[in-house]
Amino acid sequence: MKTIEEEIWAYIDDACTPAERLEIEAKIASDPEYHSVHAELMQVHQMISGQELDEPSMSFTRNVMEQVKLEIPPVALQTKVDNRIIYSIAAFFVLSILAVFVYAIANSNLTMSQFKLPAMNLDLALSPETTSFSIKAFLFVDLALALVYFDSFLRKKLSSK
Amino acid sequence: MQLKETDLELIASVLKGNTAVYTELVKRHQRFVFTLALRFAKNREDAEEIAQDCFVKAYRALGTFKQGSKFTTWLYTITYTTAMTFLRKKRLQTDSLDNDENTIQLENQISDYNANGIEKTSAHVFLYQAIGQLSPDDATIITLFYKGEQSLEEIAQTLNMEASTIKVKLHRARTRLKEKLQHLLKDEVKELI
Repeated sequence: MKTIEEEIWAYIDDACTPAERLEIEAKIASDPEYHSVHAELMQVHQMISGQELDEPSMSFTRNVMEQVKLEIPPVALQTKVDNRIIYSIAAFFVLSILAVFVYAIANSNLTMSQFKLPAMNLDLALSPETTSFSIKAFLFVDLALALVYFDSFLRKKLSSK
Repeated sequence: MQLKETDLELIASVLKGNTAVYTELVKRHQRFVFTLALRFAKNREDAEEIAQDCFVKAYRALGTFKQGSKFTTWLYTITYTTAMTFLRKKRLQTDSLDNDENTIQLENQISDYNANGIEKTSAHVFLYQAIGQLSPDDATIITLFYKGEQSLEEIAQTLNMEASTIKVKLHRARTRLKEKLQHLLKDEVKELI
């Protein structure tokens, strides 16, 4: 439930709907209490609106600029990324994957008549200890990345509300 | 006739290396930043120190300013945080202007307006006294709303609060200001009698 003052302030600030505005206008015209509160608040409103800003000393700008001259000139941190660079990197990776794939096919004993999968030599000769450690490290990094991503997702969701 | 450059154009120019253009930004916003600082510091020397610090901080961080947003909102955020840090350091008493030092400072401020006529000066005297008796947060919200051309959402961004909270705070601040003004005016009438 809004108080009379809240209603009148909303009316003065023009922060109410046209229907509410008409309703408050009618109340101000007919209700003596609304009328007196409106007159009182309008006086305060005009007084605050009429306040003047303070002026700093004459040397203010000069003092600021003297301090500014001692600073390193600022540069825009948001640099525009050239799309060609992105496409070049993407093309390099796609070509590398294709090259490895073609090489692997070329060195396999693929025979079309028997419809057998090519026997690729994928034995990296890793010790079981190394493999176990690598898998654990890989999973740990994955988990950390997933948590970071989840955290940023939640933050974005929270800030957008 | 040469058109006045916008804040964003001036910032772009500074970032391109034309640092002297920053003078124009300082001149354009110094009065408001100084007034805001005065709401916290209550004396001109400290307020000037805060305001100068703000402009230097803004210059340092100009590269991080997002071009899509409003420069004044960003600058007022820096002013607010700088003034708050200043307050914490100085541990000022913020809720009362009854002490002698503050009264002297108010008189100094008011004397600037003597040339504008007695009636206007008198209104300023009461308004300054009443605003001075408010808490820095209340005085800042009123100043940002009436003189900073800031919407409730922009004030919320500056003060790092919700817009609904600012709406309530603005209402309370105006009510307190009205009460302070009524109190001061009542005393004035008594003095005249």
